[in-house]
Amino acid sequence: MARINDVGGTQGFGAIDTTDDTEPFHADWEARVVGLYNTLRAQGIFNTNEFRDAIESMPPAEYLAASYYERWFTAICALLERKGVLAPGELDD
Amino acid sequence: MTDASPDGFPPGTDRFPPGTRVRTYRHDPPHHTRLPRYARGKRGVVVEPEGPDELADVSAQGRGDAPVEQIYAVRFEARDLWGEGDHHVVLDLWESYLEEDPDDER
Amino acid sequence: MTSGDHHTDATIARRVRRLETLLEEKGLITGERLDEAIDAFLAESSSPANGARVVARAWTDDAYRARLLADGTAAVRELGYMEGSFQRLRVVENTASRHNVVVCTLCSCYPLRLLGPSPSWYKSEAYRSRVVREPREVLREFGLELPAGTEITVWDSSAETRYLVLPHRPEGSEGLGEEELAALVTRNALIGTAAV
Repeated sequence: MARINDVGGTQGFGAIDTTDDTEPFHADWEARVVGLYNTLRAQGIFNTNEFRDAIESMPPAEYLAASYYERWFTAICALLERKGVLAPGELDD
Repeated sequence: MTDASPDGFPPGTDRFPPGTRVRTYRHDPPHHTRLPRYARGKRGVVVEPEGPDELADVSAQGRGDAPVEQIYAVRFEARDLWGEGDHHVVLDLWESYLEEDPDDER
Repeated sequence: MTSGDHHTDATIARRVRRLETLLEEKGLITGERLDEAIDAFLAESSSPANGARVVARAWTDDAYRARLLADGTAAVRELGYMEGSFQRLRVVENTASRHNVVVCTLCSCYPLRLLGPSPSWYKSEAYRSRVVREPREVLREFGLELPAGTEITVWDSSAETRYLVLPHRPEGSEGLGEEELAALVTRNALIGTAAV
């Protein structure tokens, strides 16, 4: 049982949408998430591998339903809770 | 490229010179790893060392004691990975994902 | 994979703003610092024009091509790319009989410094799952039909080495200069899902 991110060779994902989109971000919040990631990582709050680990630890159904930068945001929030920067549920208050 | 380490790591070992036949470990670790499922327990050939880096499996646990290991580009035949196909797949694998292939029957 | 419907988008946008506010209150970030980080990301990731320039140089300068294939990191630094990056670059060369294509099956590793932000298809489960197993079919979906005897190698970026494909120089391009050649090179050609 590998993690949900480990999709090499998995069948069933269907045809590739080969549209050549050139915009780096599809919404402003996506840029903010990248900014948060780079800022927090540069401060040593987490490293790249911990971040990847947090993305991969998403429940499979949630991972597959989430857009690319939603995964980033979910991982950042999970790491901030794990590191005690955010209290559990603080973001939802 | 073993001495070209822009991240300041010491040069890695060259335990597996280019051309060495290797086998990847089989187990499914209960943590982050960079050995994909499709390449576990498979035979491949070392292309060349890529240079050293911290072992991602340990670094991902937020521990400061991740060992620095040599990474090797390893080439696999599609039929060894999938039972069919005529292409090759190359992966970058940390030294501890690999062991020398004991029975060289190919 | 898209950024979802508008409702979802608005919900996430609100949560991102809320997180920014919380982190500002905790003194971990400032709005300015965040803007700088976004600008730096965009400046650093640049565009496929960088990769195209590397290719055009390799096509017109055999000594450069040899250096590029021997040590990609050092060779692109000669042109001012990947300065200060902890990543390594390996350049893989397409010929009349060999084709290379790049993927990251585990996440989305990509040579940002040379190609700019990656297209959505590169990050999709469909591409990541299939190209390692059936590259010929996948390339066909991109409109690239390779002759039956072509040797295909798929490079799965599983560590901190990034891969750039050096496309096969097209027939009939002998008279073109470096800039004209660079203009022929597309992002997909640098990933290996197109030819030039």
